[in-house]
Amino acid sequence: MNDDELIAAMAGGDDTALRELFARHAPWLAARLRAILPAAEVEDVLQESFLAVWRGARGYRPQGSPGGWLWGITRRQAALWLRRRGPDGLPLAALPGHRGEHAVDPAEASVFRAELAEAVRALGPEGSTTQEVWRLMYVEDRPVAEVAGLMGVPEGTVKSRAHRVRQLMRAALRQPARDGG
Amino acid sequence: MNVEISDVTRRFGRTQAVAGVSLETGPGVFGLLGPNGAGKTTLLRMMATVIPPSSGRVRLLGRDPGEYGPRREIRRRLGYLPQSLGYYPGFTVAEFVEYFALLKEMPPAQVPQAVAAAIERVDLGGRARAKLRTLSGGMLRRVGIAQAIVNEPDLLLLDEPTSGLDPEQRVAFRALLRDLGERATVIVSTHLVEDVGAACSDVALMEAGKIVFHGTPDELIAHGEGTGAAGDAPLERGYSAVLAAARSARAAA
Amino acid sequence: MTFSHEMAGHRDDVPGPGQDRCPGDVDLQRVWLGVAAEVWRRRPGPAERLAGRALHSQGLARALVTTPSLLLGWVIASAVVLAAGMFATLGTGMPFVALLTPAVAAAGIAYAYGPGIDPAWELSQSMAVSYRMVLLVRALAVFALDAAMGLAASAGSETAAAVTFGWLIPMTAVSALALATATVTRSANIGVAAGLAGWAITVLSAQSASGQVTTAVASSGLVLPYLAVAVACGAIAWFATRIPKGTS
Repeated sequence: MNDDELIAAMAGGDDTALRELFARHAPWLAARLRAILPAAEVEDVLQESFLAVWRGARGYRPQGSPGGWLWGITRRQAALWLRRRGPDGLPLAALPGHRGEHAVDPAEASVFRAELAEAVRALGPEGSTTQEVWRLMYVEDRPVAEVAGLMGVPEGTVKSRAHRVRQLMRAALRQPARDGG
Repeated sequence: MNVEISDVTRRFGRTQAVAGVSLETGPGVFGLLGPNGAGKTTLLRMMATVIPPSSGRVRLLGRDPGEYGPRREIRRRLGYLPQSLGYYPGFTVAEFVEYFALLKEMPPAQVPQAVAAAIERVDLGGRARAKLRTLSGGMLRRVGIAQAIVNEPDLLLLDEPTSGLDPEQRVAFRALLRDLGERATVIVSTHLVEDVGAACSDVALMEAGKIVFHGTPDELIAHGEGTGAAGDAPLERGYSAVLAAARSARAAA
Repeated sequence: MTFSHEMAGHRDDVPGPGQDRCPGDVDLQRVWLGVAAEVWRRRPGPAERLAGRALHSQGLARALVTTPSLLLGWVIASAVVLAAGMFATLGTGMPFVALLTPAVAAAGIAYAYGPGIDPAWELSQSMAVSYRMVLLVRALAVFALDAAMGLAASAGSETAAAVTFGWLIPMTAVSALALATATVTRSANIGVAAGLAGWAITVLSAQSASGQVTTAVASSGLVLPYLAVAVACGAIAWFATRIPKGTS
């Protein structure tokens, strides 16, 4: 059964579908959580998340990615957990590009940082051209002409590489479906 | 010492099912071998506090099962799988295991976690909410094992636990036994010699209500060497040799 | 028999959204058990929770609500029998309710007992919650329920007051007889048979002695003998459910 079928079965009360879903998805969800939480808390958050998955299966609409739906639930649980822990325990640092106009929920920020870090890793190994373009254009905010000069390539090449970066980031960040997430 | 039995007998009417048995054992897996009617089940029932001995002394988990208070304490720390365990057909696996967890007076708050752990340990996680009437014989046996281990007993008594299990399940079961035997006293009564050899550190052989051999599986094997006794495997030959010797000794007496 | 190889590792056959393996210090087995414990747990109904508090034992409460003769089918059957008795009494003037209720109670109480009825009887004998306690609680609950139903049926059948309540004491005696026989013979079925037979014999001999069928329930002279039987049978049942010593 594919993930959509499993979630539908779960909505009907089939606990073996939940068990299968856990076997498939818990490992990578745990890995993502581990980036922002210590191991013991990963276990607690993961447990709460799958209980939320079990209870919320009925609300799932099979039009996005099941993985995105699962991560959406998990990140909410993670944010809840971090919020409960209070500001002292949070691994905070300024978000790239944050201007400080709106107060960002530190817990949400923490979770997002982890997602971002993972997405950046998906661009390619350290020092690869896509990583370079990302760093120069989007983190350091340099104009296209300057980046072209630094990398020693034509501006057109920089633009197409930037386009590639945006594609990869969008796929890696994989916005969860609004209704199921 | 979790089990201390000295000179215990048990009569039913005029038959002596157990005719003078002494046994002492601590943590580990202990095998009880013997033909049908040797008294294994009766001995196990006495250790499960289901019946008292006709004579002799029994001490379990450091307590005397003859008195109400200590007996109740023993039973909380006990796990028992009878030779034939009936099932409530309308119960699910989880309900059945939970029922006996409650009857063992486990703290109710700990029960759901313990039930889940026991069910997964016997590999029935995919059937937790299935009704017992839908399960095969081997699965029902595993449900029985689950209720026996749900309270993480210090004394675990299993009477023919592998009946109905296929070879693969028997291998997994022996691994479970070794795991449990690290902390608790596990006593396995069986007429299947190979079950004993793989998992037990200590073996006793019963015949006509008495223990006719008590030692390690290797020592039992040694008894069979060079005697030409029946059996396809060394342990079986040891078993047959000891049994034959005991019977002829009895006949001569 | 653990399935940790499934849970802790990566599933190669399914392309996960991330190919990440579970971090080595995260115990997925423990996480799953926490999830399973919540998903598989049974939530007791209000009656059971109340019984648990009253009896100071969740196990005893659970044993009570699983009494065979307290299951819905049995209760409905008993109610039907008594209702039929009520209508028969209204129609013919014969005190059927008074005659039937003790029989129904005897059967119900005998079926609270283990052997022959409880498939896990042997295992139940090794439980910390003693079977004697289970039996006591079950017998009392069945008795109370049958008495309540009997009183309702009696009130509805407009019989004389003496007959309306007169069956309570014979019911106690007959129930005790059924229970004693069941525990001594280790068979619930024999207990039912003894209870029903005992009651039938009592009714018929009382009738042949006095010419009236209601004598068994209405005669005040029988109260003491009934109570004596009830107490004696109760003692026998209590004795029969102790851990047997020696040779039985």
